[in-house]
Amino acid sequence: MIPLKYNFRSLVVRRLGTMMTVGGVALTVGIFVSILAMVNGLENTYVNSGEPLNLVLLRKGSQTETNSYYGRSFKGIVETMSGVQAVSGEILVIINHPRLTGEAANLIVRGISDKTFELRPKIKLVEGRMLKTGLREVLVSRSVSNRFKDGKIGDTIHIGRTDWKVVGIFDAARTPYDSEIWGDYGDVAQEFDRPIYSSLLVRCADQTSLKDVQQKIIDDRRLQMDAPRETEYFESQVGTAAPMKVLGYLVGIIMAIGSCFAVMNTMYAATAYRTREIATLRVLGFRRRNILLSFMLESLLLALIGGALGCLFALPMNGISTGTANFITFSEIVFQFRVTPRLMLIGLTFSAIVGTLGGFLPARLAARIPIVRALRTEV
Amino acid sequence: MGKAECFWEYRSQRLPVSAPPIIRLESTFFPKALKYLRLIFRNVVRNRRRTILTVLSITMSLFLISTLKTLLDELENPPTTPESARRLFTRHKVSLGVMMPLAYREKIRSVPGVEDVTTFQWFGGIYKDPANFFAQFAVDADRLFAIYPEYKVDDAAHIQDFIKERTAALAGVKLAKKYGWKVGDRVTLKGTFTPFDVETTIRGLVDGGGSENTYYFHYDYFNELFNNSGQIGTLSIKAKSAEDIPAVIDSVDSMFANSTAPTKTESEKAFFLSFVSMYGNVRFLVMSISTVVLFTIILVAANTMAMSIRERTAEIAILKTLGFTPGQVLAMTVAESLIIAVAGGLLGSLGARFAYGSVDFNELSQGFLLRFVVRWETILMAVAISTFVAFTSTLLPAWSASRLSIAEAIRRRGE
Repeated sequence: MIPLKYNFRSLVVRRLGTMMTVGGVALTVGIFVSILAMVNGLENTYVNSGEPLNLVLLRKGSQTETNSYYGRSFKGIVETMSGVQAVSGEILVIINHPRLTGEAANLIVRGISDKTFELRPKIKLVEGRMLKTGLREVLVSRSVSNRFKDGKIGDTIHIGRTDWKVVGIFDAARTPYDSEIWGDYGDVAQEFDRPIYSSLLVRCADQTSLKDVQQKIIDDRRLQMDAPRETEYFESQVGTAAPMKVLGYLVGIIMAIGSCFAVMNTMYAATAYRTREIATLRVLGFRRRNILLSFMLESLLLALIGGALGCLFALPMNGISTGTANFITFSEIVFQFRVTPRLMLIGLTFSAIVGTLGGFLPARLAARIPIVRALRTEV
Repeated sequence: MGKAECFWEYRSQRLPVSAPPIIRLESTFFPKALKYLRLIFRNVVRNRRRTILTVLSITMSLFLISTLKTLLDELENPPTTPESARRLFTRHKVSLGVMMPLAYREKIRSVPGVEDVTTFQWFGGIYKDPANFFAQFAVDADRLFAIYPEYKVDDAAHIQDFIKERTAALAGVKLAKKYGWKVGDRVTLKGTFTPFDVETTIRGLVDGGGSENTYYFHYDYFNELFNNSGQIGTLSIKAKSAEDIPAVIDSVDSMFANSTAPTKTESEKAFFLSFVSMYGNVRFLVMSISTVVLFTIILVAANTMAMSIRERTAEIAILKTLGFTPGQVLAMTVAESLIIAVAGGLLGSLGARFAYGSVDFNELSQGFLLRFVVRWETILMAVAISTFVAFTSTLLPAWSASRLSIAEAIRRRGE
């Protein structure tokens, strides 16, 4: 086998061409990994969110909390079921509110109960104080606070017909709750004149009683409810990332083909410049397959350097906060870009594919160079 | 015969050796440019494989940029008609999730400047499986076609059939095709935000203006199932003329400003744009991707031009010996790059226009995009980008080559 050092030095000798090709691959991989990081961050908001012992009770067929509503008497029925530890009755209203950038988006306002925090132990009040009942006070998630107008402590935010005071900021550990505003249940229900619950969050004692309770609720003809686990409920919304995924793969595939051509160009030029060298290697006893392998490896090396650089370009995107629409709940979902080792591996694999596809034809040409004629060329 | 010989033969036959004057570059270059065209063209096709690969690489990139630009165009500037420019939507000020009293419909009808108004209630029901998503609206059957004249029904008699029957429905032609519906079929939509299902009978097929992927049924029927609660999410208004729109917005919103259900009225375009802005900053995303792609093309094109020029260093020296000025050499190289880049730009953007011509984006996007047509201005933009790429990618390598002293250039001989 021809030592890799040969390929490496060849790349260094043609440093301008190498740099430009590497740069092209790096930008391609960088943009691909960045879009995947966005998709990953959004999907991650829905996956692994929610408590394993919680059930979300929705009106049959409504699919989301924002579509669901039922009478307040149902809470008592559920509370008395055996295996149920606690129930939080909540109401959801969507308001159209401007982002800091000016254009408006839909936000979920959740009327919370005294059990809301207890049933969601991951969610912490990180700034300010807890809201007080009856005073039209709200808590805002940190993400909403950073992204929307009137979201700082002390601000007044217009909800419905009145102004509400922001008294605290909560952090929902990158779950969909991070895209919400929380007010007192009674205040929200009164403001919108809706004496109903949108959903009941039910905490069960353990997994067996959870299955039990779930069955009892679905079977109860009075309730007419669906009872997904809180984790399943959020996972069912992961399709929100679908349009972004399509965009990511579209950009990735088109740019990959373009990069293949660019790598091919560079490798053909490398073959042409080194015709005599290749012939010399053959004379020294290296076989055609050695040459083929050597040029393939050189192309792979070129692309992988680009791929690694591209992953580096994408790295600063990690943690950047952005938002899009969840058309299932019809409201804004805030999320963070997530660049993970797995994504970087995808980026490197992607560049390896570009290098292999782009390098194959030139390498085959190099392997087929007729020795005698090649030695006579005067380049 | 080798390429170099070709070049020499061509040079000796077509261009008098004494022809190119050394002076007066600016004033004489353009009239004489045609003379050089063949020389430039020969250079373009000289390394055919490289040219093709470069053109293809640029093609892919500009295909992508054209796609993204078109996405932005169709989202932000959907095609308008004189009819759509006269329409407005009214919803509850809080959000689309909160409903208004139905009585608003007749109050709005009496507002000066309003020609007609219909309920336009989103239903969002499920047909058999949640995956079968399509838009469904409960409307005033007898007003729909006055406000949306661009909707065409397969048979004029079907319009009356639809209006007459309380549970009648109109199905978009594309929906009908997808689900195998015929006129007379019964379709049940399971309610999501409502506790009831609607059971309808298709009485006609409708096409045009986005209706091809939409399902319409009676608001009266919806209201009846809703315990006659008289709640409406959206009202669609037609103004007497586009000029009346600002006044109508003003009158409607101020009429309800102090009521329990204040409204927000917007032109149809603004109403759709609010959905687009819900998606987040699409424009920024598209711009960022396009900028990165642009840099990629510049790198690809610059690499090609650097390779070509390096191989031709000796030749450039000969051209200069023959009396070509550095400016002429430079211009010829830029022209060569221009041909390659513009070819890629045209192939990419026209290719996109052609490729998307046969795809039904309205169905693919579940009605979110009305259409997906690469506009001529996008193709023009692709050519402009290619031109920019040609200049930026060539100037540095060509400039250094054109400044090389003849003796040194001949010595280099294509290293």
